[in-house]
Amino acid sequence: MSPLEFILAGTLAAATPLMLAALGELVVERSGVLNLGVEGMMALGAAVAFIVAYQTGGHGLAFVAGAGAGMAAALVFAVPVLGFRANQVAAGLALGILAGGLSAMVGRPYESLTIRSLPKLDIPVLSDLPYVGGVLTQDIAVWATLAMAVAMAWVFRSTRLGWRIRAVGENPHAARAIGTPVLRLRLACIAFGGALAGMGGAYAATVYTPLWADGMIAGRGWIAVALVVFGTWRTGRVALGAILFGALSIGELVVQATGVRIPSQALAALPYVATIIVLAVISSNRMLTRRHSVASLGEPFDP
Amino acid sequence: MTHTRRAFLGTASAAGLAAALPLRASAQDALQIALMVPSPAADVGWSRTLLDGTEAAAGAVGGEVTFLESISEGPDADRIMQRAVSNGARFVILGSFGYMNGGLQLARRFPDVSILHASGYQTAPNFSPFAAKYYQGTYLMGMAAAALSTSGKIGSVSAFAIPELITSINAFVLGAQAVNPEIECSVVWVNSWFDPASEREAAQALISQGCDVLFSNAQDTPSVISVAEEAGVYAFNLNSPMKSYAPEKYLGVVGTDWAPFFTAQAQAHVDGSFEGANHYLGMEDEVVYVSDWTPDIPADIKTRIDQTQAEIVSGAFNPMTGPLTDQSGTVRVEDGVTMTRDEIQAMDWHVAGVTTPLPN
Repeated sequence: MSPLEFILAGTLAAATPLMLAALGELVVERSGVLNLGVEGMMALGAAVAFIVAYQTGGHGLAFVAGAGAGMAAALVFAVPVLGFRANQVAAGLALGILAGGLSAMVGRPYESLTIRSLPKLDIPVLSDLPYVGGVLTQDIAVWATLAMAVAMAWVFRSTRLGWRIRAVGENPHAARAIGTPVLRLRLACIAFGGALAGMGGAYAATVYTPLWADGMIAGRGWIAVALVVFGTWRTGRVALGAILFGALSIGELVVQATGVRIPSQALAALPYVATIIVLAVISSNRMLTRRHSVASLGEPFDP
Repeated sequence: MTHTRRAFLGTASAAGLAAALPLRASAQDALQIALMVPSPAADVGWSRTLLDGTEAAAGAVGGEVTFLESISEGPDADRIMQRAVSNGARFVILGSFGYMNGGLQLARRFPDVSILHASGYQTAPNFSPFAAKYYQGTYLMGMAAAALSTSGKIGSVSAFAIPELITSINAFVLGAQAVNPEIECSVVWVNSWFDPASEREAAQALISQGCDVLFSNAQDTPSVISVAEEAGVYAFNLNSPMKSYAPEKYLGVVGTDWAPFFTAQAQAHVDGSFEGANHYLGMEDEVVYVSDWTPDIPADIKTRIDQTQAEIVSGAFNPMTGPLTDQSGTVRVEDGVTMTRDEIQAMDWHVAGVTTPLPN
């Protein structure tokens, strides 16, 4: 397999945990709430999903459990933030640490165990093509995640629900004046974001690696948060950023394996640097960026 | 409110005192041993081998083990090791390089406490660094790898480019060259001690480049081993056997058994003869071992491996003996010269045959 073919085949799977978590965080931030606990919610989702997959052998059930765990953690964040108008940055960081610690605790008996992954789905004829075949041969969760990204772009662009979420994030007082239940909508967004972060963790632990080990999320939650910002809160760009990051993080290792004379530390930094540059360049139109950034992000809503 | 809190604090400290008293009393008869490691002790891996060794030592000298796991390196670690000592621990094993400075301070403050510290370089009268000569085992694994590789390409997924890991890779390649002088080795540095997803990607990248034997260098999780099994290539790892993760394609393990060393040191502490020294331990000390060999190794090569192992144990052979050339072709160790221990522990160059440049 040529290095390029290998990178193409591996990119989408590497991007999936990031994309799930980033899309979840996108919805939360679009509603005007900043949840920095993504890393912890992913870790908790990963631990719980792994335990369920290990005990039952069912990946569907594991994803549901991972989503539930992420959602439960997000609701712990929602109580002080929405109910008591607590500082969102502090509450998010606290949630991240709490959920991360909890994941280590519940996952303790399952440390370094492995399970079966999801099978890659062969598409007749197409899967046998060079280059394209590798890209198209993915497991069901990868396709579901991409479908979710498309659906989410559509929701924000053309549905009443999407507009309401955007209005709440833009100006919650105006949204309330026209009858939108701001806090309830934000609560739903936080819960949805937690569920997706949990599913991102579930994918990492039960399909991608597939093993549980404390700390295995290894900063991917923070990358998801960064992708939302650098993707200027637009679904397509956030998804693209996740794919780009996935491609570069695999590409970096492949380049090392082929023996190119570039220091490995520089290569290790490449995915971060390149993703920032690409997203910064495509977002360089300041008018557009301002139009898409969330005006009330991080501000507690005081009705 | 204040009243309740004060009452609570009073009760808490009384409870703490009560808990501390029997500890002090029992410290007279049983040696209190504390082990601190940065990761959780799974069924396999670095922390597990240290815990097994510590428990064996405690059993031998009649001690009790306080196990402190998942302690990240930093101020927290210093505080926790100090509390362990003030709770009665008199023999402390620190399982990570980053505990060094905190451990040294502790050693100065408590001269009656003996401390063993993994992979450091500082020594004090009651503070001894220790490390394993993994390279003795990786040399033997290299011999087996060269015999089993059909592509002539082998690879290593490694954590950080530090001397201990570089030496292990170099010995792996030298052992492989002893069987097949043409063999080439690619190395992927993950630049993380702990990232199972990247380790997995790195292993797949090496396999896609044609490497058909993989060396999982300093990873505590079985990610590389399971990828290799799925792809049908051989793999081996360090510290503890992971054959259950790769029943078909497990090459073997370069294991560590800390029980003899920890027991001897704990006994020395009890006898009052503990001395600060730099311990670099290998097969001759029964600390490093190789086991769980795949049955696929050709019989003649297996015989050679066993002979080489015997020579390493007896001291007749050291893998780090010249002529050794580096990647640029410069002779770094002359014919017949064996690298000194300090040179081996500071090795920062790859031998010829490693195709990946070393990050600097």
